[in-house]
Amino acid sequence: MKLDRTAAAQKYVIHPTRKKDMETMHLPFPRDWTPTNLNLPPNWKEIALAKLNELRGKYRELQLFLDICVACGACEDKCPFFIATNDPHNMPVARQELLRSVYRRYFTTAGKIFRGFAGGRELDENLIHQWYTYFYQCSQCRRCAVFCPYGIDTAVFTMAAREILTAIGLTPRSLTESIAKCEVVGNHMGMQPAAMLNSISFAEQEIKEETGVDVHVPINKKGAEILFIAPSADYFGEPHWFTFKGYIKLFHQIGLDYTMSTYASEGGNFGTWLNYEHMKKLNQKITTEAKRLGVKWILGGECGHMWRVLHGYMGTMNVNSNFLDEPISPITGTHFRIAEHSKAVHICEFTADLIRHQKIRLDTTKNKQYTVTFSDSCNPARFMGLIEEPRYIIRNVCPTYVELDPSVNRERTICCTAGGGLLADETLELRLRAIKPKIDAIRQSGANFLALICAIDKAVYPEYLKHYQLPIQVGGVHELVSNALVMT
Amino acid sequence: MDFLLFLIGILLPYVTVIIFLGGLTFRAARWWSIPVPTKVMLTPAPTTWPGVFERLTLEFVAFRSLTKGGWKLWLGAWLFHILLGVTLLTHLINFFDYGLWNQIGYGWYEGAGYAGIIFAAVVAFLFLRRVVHPGVRYISKASDYGLLLLLLSLILLGDYTRSFSGVDVSAVSQYLNGLLTLHPTLPPDNPAFLLHLLLAQVFLMYLPFSKVAHLVGWIMAPTRNQRNDARARWHRNPWNPVVELEPYASYAARYQRELEELGPGGERQ
Repeated sequence: MKLDRTAAAQKYVIHPTRKKDMETMHLPFPRDWTPTNLNLPPNWKEIALAKLNELRGKYRELQLFLDICVACGACEDKCPFFIATNDPHNMPVARQELLRSVYRRYFTTAGKIFRGFAGGRELDENLIHQWYTYFYQCSQCRRCAVFCPYGIDTAVFTMAAREILTAIGLTPRSLTESIAKCEVVGNHMGMQPAAMLNSISFAEQEIKEETGVDVHVPINKKGAEILFIAPSADYFGEPHWFTFKGYIKLFHQIGLDYTMSTYASEGGNFGTWLNYEHMKKLNQKITTEAKRLGVKWILGGECGHMWRVLHGYMGTMNVNSNFLDEPISPITGTHFRIAEHSKAVHICEFTADLIRHQKIRLDTTKNKQYTVTFSDSCNPARFMGLIEEPRYIIRNVCPTYVELDPSVNRERTICCTAGGGLLADETLELRLRAIKPKIDAIRQSGANFLALICAIDKAVYPEYLKHYQLPIQVGGVHELVSNALVMT
Repeated sequence: MDFLLFLIGILLPYVTVIIFLGGLTFRAARWWSIPVPTKVMLTPAPTTWPGVFERLTLEFVAFRSLTKGGWKLWLGAWLFHILLGVTLLTHLINFFDYGLWNQIGYGWYEGAGYAGIIFAAVVAFLFLRRVVHPGVRYISKASDYGLLLLLLSLILLGDYTRSFSGVDVSAVSQYLNGLLTLHPTLPPDNPAFLLHLLLAQVFLMYLPFSKVAHLVGWIMAPTRNQRNDARARWHRNPWNPVVELEPYASYAARYQRELEELGPGGERQ
């Protein structure tokens, strides 16, 4: 492994937020700026240090991980962005060090006295420029943490650094453009209610043509039993679209009493990658809408970071004790005790349960042309631990299933490299390089269908596979379910 | 000379114990006082406390996570800690009762001597790894090298003291036992031993304020010690802020015409 000390990754620095989006979102210091001319407010240094001090008193994991890293190097070559660039700052421990060195310099006795000799570093504009570059070259996928002897999670540092950057007026367009739309219109795509209705009606028509069955999707229906939440890309993105049709075919077939919502038409949550406040805000749309509609529980579609929030944060941020009703499958009677508090069930858990109880008829020959492999997405795999359910479903709807190489599979997965706000044109080359180990594994597996359960995965893999000249099909797990589902 | 012996051999040991235990308690209490606002567990995260216990035990005993990244670092780190354990154990025997060696057998006493030499070799390997491996050299700071050099000197001096300095180990044991039972006597007047003793105390006093504090910190990492029950139980965030959200009514007013396309009251049945 060699290091490229020419700051190779700096050319992938992400575009800044537009002034009008900063104003819409009430972000601090709305102004025009560029990554080379940050145009920082005069007291930025005090703000940044005060924020760091505040955060280390709010997150035990941050303070602990600032203190106990022994720099053993177990993580050094585990980050896809380091693999992509050989830029030493993209080694997880070095990325952490960008923040840790400031903590040492300003908040430890040794650092205050011995400064650089004690591993401390002055907080200056040059360092802020590095923060903006490298903390937006971390997709918060947490692969590094799997290999760390203490479970030190670089995403904790990335989240903290982004909170600080946000406080001094530095946010990336790749996130804020979508968050601003979501806060105003209801989803990242800026898709208004009529457009959503159009899209859904179109899906219903297509299903009618393909199967002859009249499928009907309720929207904003008060008193429905279940609120179904999906990432907004599912409404029109390709290949998301086929998965979306899969959900609504399935719901029709089992006679599910559900509704979708225009107000909470976004399952995804780009706020997650900016700061706690905006993550909570976007998530709160779902919980308040669930209450307004009077549903019993929430069913969530295929999406990675959406499930990071629904699984890990929603219950803490926005759920109180009398939230909704018991999450019981009306078809099988299964009580999803795993969602006892948050009342949010993953579509893969739901469908796997249907299959286990033989409540749907599946014709696996419909998928016989495919050799399917499954790519774990970072959040479902490393955070939720949702590893077996999608595999169980695939094995039940496809005759041929192969696993990827263990080095990039299950909790060691390299996923899409486009999460964490990195889904932007300016990072495309970076992402193409970062994904290479995964592409190699897919090629080696001999699969001709790549199954995914994440909307960003689905958005980026077709491009990656085209670049690497690997002509295989990409789709959701519920696209495969859709193919095999026998409609009556 | 007696004053120096008193300083290094009687006063400093008690100061060291106070700083070592006090420092570690202070660090742990500080970490403990900070809330863990959300779930941050890392797969494979168990859903029960016995599961967490099993996971942490495996990490403690076998350094399981380190095995995932390759065997060299794992072997170096694991051997280092095993040998550290052996060394602590043999020192403890000397602290409590030198006579125990007669019961355990002299072979074990000899074996512990060899373990001390392998211990130095392992630390030397870890040091060399820091120097030779480009990625690890990049992330290494002065304190990382310093700590390994301090340990290496400490271990080599210990090896030398025990086998070649001519010190009477049973006399050392008697002295240590005196410290332990609060009836301190002056330590054996052997330069190698005194230097070893001094370095050991420097190390122990520095430990709580360095990265070596991982010895209590590792078990507090929420990525490893949390249960994966994020949706099943309420995880409380004590500083959970209230956020302002546009209410449905004002949203519905803005999109009134579009919502009517869905059906009466903006509902599509």
